[in-house]
Formats: sequence, C-alpha cells, structure tokens
Amino acid sequence: MKKVVSGNKAVAYGVMLSRVEVISAYPITPQTTIVEELSRFCAEGEMEAKFIKVESEHSAMASIIASSVTGSRSFTATSSHGLALMHEMLHWAAGARLPIVLVNVNRALGPGWNIWTDQTDSLSQRDTGWIQLYCEDNQEVLDTIIQAFRIAETVNLPVMVVLDAFFLSHTSEVVEIPDQEEVDRFLPRFEPQYPLNPEEPRAYYGMVPPDYYMEFRYKMQKAMEETAGVARRVDEEFSGQFGRTHGLVEPYRCEDADAVMVTSGTVTSTSRVVIERLREDGINVGLLKVKMFRPFPMKEIKGVLKGIEKVGVIDRNISFGHGGIFAQEIRSTFCNEDERPTVFGFVMGLGGRDVTPEAIEEAISYTLENPRPKEEVIWIGLKR
Amino acid sequence: MAGKIIYRGESEMPFSPVSSGDMTWNRTGTWRYIRPKYEDKTPPCNAACPAGLDIPMFIGLVDEGRYAKAWNVIREENPFPGVCGRVCFHPCESHCNRAEYDEAIAINALERFVADQAPPLEPGSPTQERREERIAVVGSGPSGLSCAYHLARMGYGVTVFEALPRPGGILRMGIPSYRLPKDVLDKEIADIQAYGVEIKTNARLGGDLSFKDMEEYDAIFLATGAHVSRKLNMPGEDLEGVGSGLDLLRDINLGKAVRIGKRVAVIGGGNTAMDAARAVLRLGGTPLVLYRRSRDEMPAFDEEVSEALEEGIEIRYLVGPTKVIGNNGRVAQLECIEMELGAEDETGRRRPVPIPHSNFSIEVDSVVVAVGEEPDLTFLPEDIRIQAGMVSTDKGARTSRKDVFAGGDMAHVDRTVAHAIGFGKHAAISIDCLIQGRNVKGVLPGIQVGEGGTLSMAKYLSEVARRRSQHVVTFDELNLDYFGHAERNERPKSPAPERVGDFREVSAGLPEQDASREAARCFSCGVCNGCENCYVFCPDLSVITDGGMVKYRINYDYCKGCGICIAECPRNALSVEKEAK
Repeated sequence: MKKVVSGNKAVAYGVMLSRVEVISAYPITPQTTIVEELSRFCAEGEMEAKFIKVESEHSAMASIIASSVTGSRSFTATSSHGLALMHEMLHWAAGARLPIVLVNVNRALGPGWNIWTDQTDSLSQRDTGWIQLYCEDNQEVLDTIIQAFRIAETVNLPVMVVLDAFFLSHTSEVVEIPDQEEVDRFLPRFEPQYPLNPEEPRAYYGMVPPDYYMEFRYKMQKAMEETAGVARRVDEEFSGQFGRTHGLVEPYRCEDADAVMVTSGTVTSTSRVVIERLREDGINVGLLKVKMFRPFPMKEIKGVLKGIEKVGVIDRNISFGHGGIFAQEIRSTFCNEDERPTVFGFVMGLGGRDVTPEAIEEAISYTLENPRPKEEVIWIGLKR
Repeated sequence: MAGKIIYRGESEMPFSPVSSGDMTWNRTGTWRYIRPKYEDKTPPCNAACPAGLDIPMFIGLVDEGRYAKAWNVIREENPFPGVCGRVCFHPCESHCNRAEYDEAIAINALERFVADQAPPLEPGSPTQERREERIAVVGSGPSGLSCAYHLARMGYGVTVFEALPRPGGILRMGIPSYRLPKDVLDKEIADIQAYGVEIKTNARLGGDLSFKDMEEYDAIFLATGAHVSRKLNMPGEDLEGVGSGLDLLRDINLGKAVRIGKRVAVIGGGNTAMDAARAVLRLGGTPLVLYRRSRDEMPAFDEEVSEALEEGIEIRYLVGPTKVIGNNGRVAQLECIEMELGAEDETGRRRPVPIPHSNFSIEVDSVVVAVGEEPDLTFLPEDIRIQAGMVSTDKGARTSRKDVFAGGDMAHVDRTVAHAIGFGKHAAISIDCLIQGRNVKGVLPGIQVGEGGTLSMAKYLSEVARRRSQHVVTFDELNLDYFGHAERNERPKSPAPERVGDFREVSAGLPEQDASREAARCFSCGVCNGCENCYVFCPDLSVITDGGMVKYRINYDYCKGCGICIAECPRNALSVEKEAK
C-alpha cells in the first residue's frame, strides 16, 4: 500500500511492521513525532507492544536493554542531546550484544541551541560498537528499520538507523508500506541465545577480569567484520521479496569518472541531480553514497573508488582538530593501498544550513580544478 | 550445580559476558556480616486493644475480600465482633500510626463490617475435642461470655449462670438498641452457644443458687459486673420520679413501660448518663444533662457526647444537684448549685468546688441519676477477699480461693466492653493453666501483646503466633515511601432529626467498596502482608517465596546482608542481627 508519509511516520510504520514488543523513548525534537505515533499505535491497540515512559534517554536505553535480554524485540528513538545522554548505555547494549534498533534523527548539538540536521551526534557514537546505517529517503528509512532487526538479530549487535532532521523526519513522500504477512515472512520471531529466564539462571554482564575481557572485544570486532556480508545478504533477500534494494554503498555514474563525490543522507539526492547535469555538460564526475558507516564497508568502497584519481567527501559533520569524519574514514580505507585517490575533505551544511546544488558544484569544481587540496578541511558556504 | 568454568580461549566463550552455567557455586552468603530476618512485630493498635485483636491480620483479609477468614481471626480473640464493632471505644484508633500520616484507620467500622458479613454458625459446628473438666461462669455479660467462649473452644464443658431472664448482661440491659441492636447481640450469643456453652438464665447466685452449688465445678469464674447505681445522698432522692440511669435503661431494654414525663434531668457525665439522656429523648422527653465538671473531664466516650449534642441534647456543665424538691411525694424541682474547678483529685481530674450562694432550681418531671455503678458483692463467701469495693484478684485473675477466678467490672476499674472481654480471656487462660498444672505467671509474659497487659489467645495456643516480637512499631519505624495519602472512610449515620424518633440503630455499616478502600489504607505496622517489596528489591534473589503459610524466607547461602530488604520493607516486618562469626 502506498502512503504519503513523513520520515518519522515511516519509522513508526517500520517499527510496527517489525512487531516490536517493547518501546521506551523520551521525546526530543525532531524525533518526537516518532514517539507520538508509536505511543498512539500502542494505546489504540494497533501494536501489541509495551510502551515504557521514562524520565531520560539514559533510562530509555536502560529499559530496552533489560527488555531485550528477555528476548523481546526492542526499540527506541532519539536525537542529538538525547543520544549523547544515552552514551553510557550505548556501550552497554553493544557489549551485552543485544539486537536493539535505535533511530537517531540527526540534529546538531548545542550550544548554541540548534534543532536542525547535522551528523555529529550519531558520528560521535562511532566507537560504541553499534552498526550505523544512514538513510537517504523515507522509503529507505522504512525498509532499513525492517532490515536492521534482521541484521541485529543475526550478528547480535545493536543497529542505529539514522535520518536527517526535517529534510526527512518532517518531509512527506510516497512510501510503499509492505504487508504485515510479507514482513513476518522476512523477519521471524527473535529467539535470543541467552534469554533471561529464572528457570535457567545465569549471571548476566558481571565483572569480566583481564583474563577474558579482550576475548569479548575480539568477538565484537569479529561480529562487526561479519556484518557487512550479513547486511548484503539481508538486502539481497529483501530485494527478492520486496523489489527494493539499498546496498551498503551505492555508486552513481562512477564509470570513467575524473572525480567521485562521497555523500551520505539527503545530500546524496541533491548531489545526484547536480552530477546528472554536469554529466550532460560532459564533465566526468560520479557519486558514491555511503549508507553503512559502521562497520565501514571498506571492501565495497575500494571496489568503487579503485582507479579513481580524486575523491571529494562531503561531510555534514566535523571532528574538531581533524575535519570531516567520512573523509577520515575514506582516507584510512586507502592508506595501505599502492594506488590511492587524492581525498578532498569538504565540510558543509552544519546545523541544518542548506546544502544547495551550487554548494555541491563548488565542491566538485574545487576537486576537479586542484591537483590536491590546499587545506585539510575545505569549508563550503562559510561566511567569512 | 555447575563448578567454576575455565575458558581456554575465545572459541569456547559465549558471545556476550553471561555465565555459561549458574553461579550457585558462589555462596555469596559468606560475605555477610549482618543478617536480615523476618520478624513480625507488634502493631500499636493490637497492643492498645484490651481484647487483643490481631487488627492488621483481619484488615489484611478484608483487603483480600476474605471476610469469613477475617471474622475467624477476630473471633480467635473476641467472640463479639458485631458488638465491639458498634460500641467499643476503639483505643486502637487513637494509637493507629496512620493518624500521624493523615487519619487513623477506621478499625471499629471495619470490625463491624466483618461481623456484618459473618456467616450464621450452626450449633455444634466446631469440632473441638471435649475435655472432662467443667467450669462454672457466673454472669453472662461480655466478660463471662468471653471466658465461657474461650474455655469451650479449648474443649471444656462450660455452664453460664445468669440472674436475669436473658443473657448478655450490660450489653443487653445497659446499652440502648440505637447503639447495639438486640439481634446483633442475640446472634453473637448464639454463636458462643454453638461451641457448646450452656447458659442458664433466671439463675441468681445468692438467690436460688448458692456458692456451695458451684463447688462441683472444677473452676468458677465470677463476672457479675457492676450494676448497683451510686447514690447522690441528697435530700429527696427517694421521691417518686427519681431513679437510676441503669434502671431506666434496663426497663427500656426489657420493653417495660417507663413513665418519665417531659422534663427530665439527667445527672452525670459518663456513658450511662449519655445513654439515659438519648433514651429519654427517644421516649419523647426533653433531657437536660447536668454535669459537675466541664466537657474535658467527662468520662463518657467522645463519640457518645458528640452524638448526644448532635441530637440537640442540652448539657449544662459545672452544675451539681443539691436537693430534690417534691410535691405530693413526687419530684417537682431539682435544686442545683454552680461549681468551679479546683485542684486535681486522685483521678487526675480537677475537683468541682461549689460556688457559695449560687443555688438555683429547675422544674422537672423526673430525675435520672447516673453517677457511676458499684459491684454487688453481697453474695460472696467471706473468704473471697474484697478490696476497694471490688473482688481482689492476682496476676492470674484468681481470687483468694484457688479455683475461683473473677474479672470484668466487679474486679477492675477499667470498665469497658473491650476490657471485660479481655479479662474474660485472661481468666480462661488462667483456668486452663490451673487445670493443666501450668504456672500461669510463667505463661503470661510470652503471650502478651506489647506491654499494656493485653493478652493474645493466638499466642497462647500457637507457637507460631508467639514468634511475633513484642516490640510495638512506631511511626518513625515505617518506610512511608510506599504509602499514598487517602481519606478515611467513615460509616454513614442517619441525620440527627431522623434518628431521635425511635431506637433504630444510628450508624450503618460501611458499604463494601468503602470497607475495601479503608482496609487498603492499613499500614500493617510490623506485620508482613506479602507486599513483595523485599522479594522485588533483593539484588541477590535471596528472598524466597513459596506460597506457604510463611510468606517469605531468606536464602542465607546467597544473602550478602546488604539490608535492602529491611530498608524497603514499608512496615518494619524485618529485623537485622549481627552475623555470628
């Protein structure tokens, strides 16, 4: 069934169709309408889920960590400061290897107060052990939620599904809402390996001495290494059943390109339009959308960018003292390769500033015109 | 139980830090240096109840909707829940810890509620093993019947001798039916008879019956009450139209025609005076109560005074009668004098002192004197020792004769129904000890409830009940985090103008919904009611509940002695002791 829905509503539909059993969340702009919609689903009996009201995001994550241990499919959503407040529990969920799915609506962190889109909130959680998937449109949001539970429950790692504030969260588009039976076939009931059950007592998440701690971390890394392959297979199966694929990365007109722009989130759609036009003008430029940020799909990225001379990375985020975060990741992907592209790191669109076609064109021109970047961090659209 | 598991490498390990076996091998109880233990303590209401009712226990059962069980819990100590649920002065409520939080629990109303729900008891239904010994009880008031009831429950053959044509003593003769309907009393006496208690009426000791006739019994309990009205010793007291309050109430209760006229002076400030005045009002008279001290010194229960005032009865304080003036042998006027309060007397109340030359007279049709009652002890043999106008008894309720016991108003100054019931129970325990050859003075300390002299029949009969500590739980010892404020549920009363026309009962019972709400307010001080807080909060899963009689146990193999169970118990039903090393 096709419906015109906002990104946040697409999240709610994805959660409902995934037969989530426990939801705990604390409202924060721009995530709030997700929670409103889900609480309505629960209250009106459209979802058979327990909705736990809490006093903070830290408690929201703590609650669903507990519910997930019992084997209940569990979900939360947040944004910005809410995600930051969850930070400790994010480590917990990952360390406990719980297949929780969290939606983060990208929003800038204060001060100064800013409710608009910016990826620094989710990227700051890079090292917590969560899988991170960035979405470009509302259909992808819905599809990714359903896939996220499959991936999480296969590799026993939590998944963060990320979408841009307002550009997706509050913008409506046509979205195909799949049938419940179809989703049930794709996403069977979650059967945890170590369910919390008084009949079979276990000690959960107690102290682990130096004798064993490293081994658990090794297992997390191994699970992350498996995740790219698992996610690819899940996406293929999804595509076979629902006719839509999103991939881990998505190249666009990268063949024979003199330069490829790397993007994530909604900037991708704008970039695609710009590149289409430039190609018409005979300018050989391509686009690589990176959907999966953790684990970082190095194999897939190398496959696309091998032989490309120049790569421009558009970052709607910044790691202070180093620069755009995606740019760092791309650089490190190639650092041990004999043949590697020159990487141009662009920072733009922070705090919800529009990333216009002109801004993207400016970044492309810079990449094409300069043999190498004049500075490590190239600011586009900055008012000097 | 799994042993300690050693992993050689990551391939043997689970993917997350959960134990592969259980942790029961790790007996964390060895870390403990303090030991929590379940220890029920004494709730203040229970300690304050002269009849020794296990109040939180019966209220807990009301909360669960188990009314028949609640009734049996009351009757473990007291065969008169319907009577006490109406006429008791409920010291339990004045000691209720909840009063310090919002309002005391309406215990009295709940007791009546339980009695109202009670099933009819078939004669012979109790299956107590009978004993050979036979006990005589003299007097069928609350004390005598309480003693008879408890003895019968212990298997003794009991005969009660009552001088009047109907049993009940003061309950029937002294209390008007607007406070205690006769069918309520009849039912509870019938319930006592169902245990095999034989009641012989029109059997007056000192009349047809001599003390010698009693000697065939293995023990005798005397409980003939205090029913001789005190006189004022003023001129004109013998005139026609002057009578005692108790006589008036007895005549009304026996259905005799009473001629009191219109204007009736009632002298006194006790319960008898209040009852007499309210009865006069219901007979169509206009009572005027004259009391020689002020309201604060009145011995009548506060509720009785308030109800009398609600009904429009005039009480004149600081007025004492001096003389009854007659006309043709019948009372016509009462001369009075105004009083002021002087120094405290031996009862701690300020003594009334007449104000010279303040005499005045009032026109009256009759005068009712209700200034206290004395026991009639004239029938007693000489070797029964008397002290201060009452039968002298020792700590075991025994008179100067080995097998003769006494209780109730004839032996005590605490003259309430609840006290009388308690004294009857006390005597029953003492008589059982005498017959069983046990030293009652050794038994009593173990079966007390608190330190006020209240005794528990449950403790006397059951070792489990004796485990309850005698420490009386105070308000400060409760964990109030778990209680919300809630309004007290009062029983409905008919409005004063409607109730003064006849002797129908003034108060109605609590509706079930209100009773349920009221029961839920009880803190259950010191008495575990299975709220599960300890079970929920124990971080070591060492609180075990197996649904048995004892609600919870502690698994000391694993209890680390953190004390959270004690801190989170809302009602101080857990205690702590130092771990023996």
